Amino acid sequence: MNNLAQAFRKNIQTYTIIIALIVIWIIFAVATQGGYLTPQNISNLFRQMSVTSIMAAGMVLVIVTGGIDLSVGRLAGFVSVVVAFFQASRWNTVFPNQPAVAALLSVLIGLGVGTVWGMGQGYIIAYLRVPAFIVTLGSMFILQGLILLQTEGKTIPANQPIFSEIGQGYLPATLGWILTLTVIALLFFTTFRGRRNKQKYGFPLPPLVQDVMKAVFFSALIVIYVALVNSYKVAPGIPYPVLLLGAVAAVMTYVTNNTRFGRYSYAIGGNREATRLSGINIRKNIFLIFALMGFLSGLAGIVLASYVGYGTIGAGGGYELDVIAGAILGGTSTMGGVGTIPGAMIGGLIMASLSTGLQMLNAPPATTYVVKGVVLILAVLLDVYFKKTSSKA
Amino acid sequence: MSEDIILDFQNVTKTFPGVTALSDVSFTVRRGEIHGLCGENGAGKSTLMKILSGVYPSGTYEGKVIYDGKELKLESSAIHQAVEEGIAIVYQELTLVPTMTVGENIFLGKEPVERRSINWDKLYSDTQTILTKYKLDILPQDVVRDLGVSKMQMTEIAKALSENAKVLILDEPTSALAAAEIDKLMEILRGLKELGVTCLYITHKMDEFFRITDNVTVLRDGKVVTTQPTKDLTPEKLVAYMVGREMKERFPKGNRQPGDVIFEVQDLHAADPNKEDREVLKGVTFDLRKGEILGIAGLMGSGRTELVMSIFGEYAKITKGHIKLEGQEIKIKNGHDAMQKGISLVPEDRKRYGLVLIQSILKNISLPNLDRFASFMRIEQNAEVVESLRIAKELAIKAPSLHVAAETLSGGNQQKVVIAKWLLSGPKILIMDDPTRGIDVGAKYEIYKLMNDLAEQGISVIMISSELEEVLGMSDRVMVMCQGRSNGLLKTAEATQEKIMALATGIA
Repeated sequence: MNNLAQAFRKNIQTYTIIIALIVIWIIFAVATQGGYLTPQNISNLFRQMSVTSIMAAGMVLVIVTGGIDLSVGRLAGFVSVVVAFFQASRWNTVFPNQPAVAALLSVLIGLGVGTVWGMGQGYIIAYLRVPAFIVTLGSMFILQGLILLQTEGKTIPANQPIFSEIGQGYLPATLGWILTLTVIALLFFTTFRGRRNKQKYGFPLPPLVQDVMKAVFFSALIVIYVALVNSYKVAPGIPYPVLLLGAVAAVMTYVTNNTRFGRYSYAIGGNREATRLSGINIRKNIFLIFALMGFLSGLAGIVLASYVGYGTIGAGGGYELDVIAGAILGGTSTMGGVGTIPGAMIGGLIMASLSTGLQMLNAPPATTYVVKGVVLILAVLLDVYFKKTSSKA
Repeated sequence: MSEDIILDFQNVTKTFPGVTALSDVSFTVRRGEIHGLCGENGAGKSTLMKILSGVYPSGTYEGKVIYDGKELKLESSAIHQAVEEGIAIVYQELTLVPTMTVGENIFLGKEPVERRSINWDKLYSDTQTILTKYKLDILPQDVVRDLGVSKMQMTEIAKALSENAKVLILDEPTSALAAAEIDKLMEILRGLKELGVTCLYITHKMDEFFRITDNVTVLRDGKVVTTQPTKDLTPEKLVAYMVGREMKERFPKGNRQPGDVIFEVQDLHAADPNKEDREVLKGVTFDLRKGEILGIAGLMGSGRTELVMSIFGEYAKITKGHIKLEGQEIKIKNGHDAMQKGISLVPEDRKRYGLVLIQSILKNISLPNLDRFASFMRIEQNAEVVESLRIAKELAIKAPSLHVAAETLSGGNQQKVVIAKWLLSGPKILIMDDPTRGIDVGAKYEIYKLMNDLAEQGISVIMISSELEEVLGMSDRVMVMCQGRSNGLLKTAEATQEKIMALATGIA
């Protein structure tokens, strides 16, 4: 029991945010008389969070190293209009009636534009040493201009077959279950392999029950989610954007925990000078982080174009706010050195939960903005308060 | 009158959950004396300071502090109150705003205001009054950033003194100062004493007690061991009081036979990386033998740190000269390159340059060594733990586990973590920049022993030190630097403090 209490105290931040999420869900569930927790809404909720949360996964690393990227929303927007432009008026002349080829090329172009832009920003920030805040602020202006230039103020349709599947499609229910089983099998496999490896090195193992319970818990969450979205009558199945988000989150979690690149990022944020003197190429690391951020913004832009079905001058506007807020709600410290991908995902989920919930209650957009702002400040306030009390004890 | 008491601690006890920081502490400080406070880290010195400064207000501790005839009653978080009472504190770390002037810093938070705007003329003339009164050789308009460390220290003292202070507390004021600057500080303190200011002086450096204090109180494990007139004490006695055991010698004797020369630096010149026309190294030549400890002595600003950082590839642009490792000329591009060639650097100021304080011991130790455990795709975390555990055990790092944050450790253990991180790469040459700064006597002794062990294993150690006794006690040979040049390489057996000082100041 004492151990449990200790573990709770240590992870208080993680639990605070999960409790906050549950409280928000309960409030909305009551306010909408249960409508909030219907399969339809759950399906929508996760799809809505996917565009910004894909970017939040990259933002965690940016903020962890002590930087910021204000341009992500506009970059995703720019990518979405570029992709829409190619979809609407280029591929049909070059590859008529080849929607699959067109979609594939669009994806490559979208990822390419995002990555190259990110590399440009990264180069200026890391090697020419202009502060990230300034570079990305300037970049935000430039991208806004480029969006106007590309769209000529008009709306470009991006609702062609196959391409629109990316943002609007659903994984067929059976495939969904097969995927679920695979993921669960993988979860158990890695759990047991991890134990075996530890044993090989002669480390004490945590109780088997604890590890198994953990795997069972996460498996249950996945099963509940899949069962819910599969039972949504109108459009059953896991939305593709959510699958993409899941993959991004899993890969990024691995990268942050298990690679040198990830480890160096946290060290840079914790103490830049000490990291430099440890023989680590800080500039390269920061350059790579911004390149990765660009890649993820590109991915988000593609999903955005496909989901909305067209590229507009307003595309991606204000998304950076949700992205940064999600990362910070999830425990990423603006002081650098601290932050997790799963945390940011829950943070993103909270932001999306507020949006969808207030929408269902027919609240005006003004209310949504105010509530999101209040929740963000409140969450950080609580965190500061808990840290103080737990460090005193 | 001989018994004019300004501070009287009566049975002061301060407990934290699980720890008794101060236990029944009683001693008195006479008006106008310089009173040394001495003890290992964790002995209770800083708790005592925090009681005097109001960080722990009255009521949170037991016992009484009688200050200037009345019981000292500071209310919660009323740090200003202590200042108003005339108790001033100069902290170990400088607390100045580097971009502001001396005057602005001294009056920070208490600027003279007239009709809602700052009266700058009054501010600067008041600053001048303070500087003149205490005979401090700085100008009110000087920007702090441009001052040397010792003048920054003066500003710090002036800031503390700006409200007619009666008691001045100095917490390790010399840890950042070189010998000449310490002399200057001692002069200032004697001046203050003449003006009737009482001084509580905390330091880790033995000799300073004997140079400056009238009485010394020794704390150990939160208890007063003794208060004695300094003239009745010897360094050996003092150390024995502190550690509670007789310490035969401050420097353990090594048993080593330095071998052949493995590393040579010839006529090294280097420029400031930010200001390429400023030469910071103007000709440094020395050699290093296998399994030798080479001391580098010199005043602050003589280029010692710049030299080792340049060798390590992380500071200056080398403009001229040669570096040879095992007979081969080498060019070191950066720290990573240096490490691969077998040169490690334990940098000065472990908190700033050595550690990622918020991260675990494990992550700190493995940071420069991850290449050993990692492929492109993953870090073999089990191997990382095994290796880090091995080195932590070897260096006897005291911690509940490798997963606790480095910031929770004592200074000595933190320093061991920094050494561990650099030893894991298996260096041939280990450079240590002021490795024992700010750590207590017991921990220093362990670091010394470790250095001896490393040298016996055949690792060549270069040690920068600001303490001449340490240089003489630990090294086989001493290289003395003066204004960016190597000004002599002595066998320690033939060196004396006077000889080294003469070389360091450029008289010889």
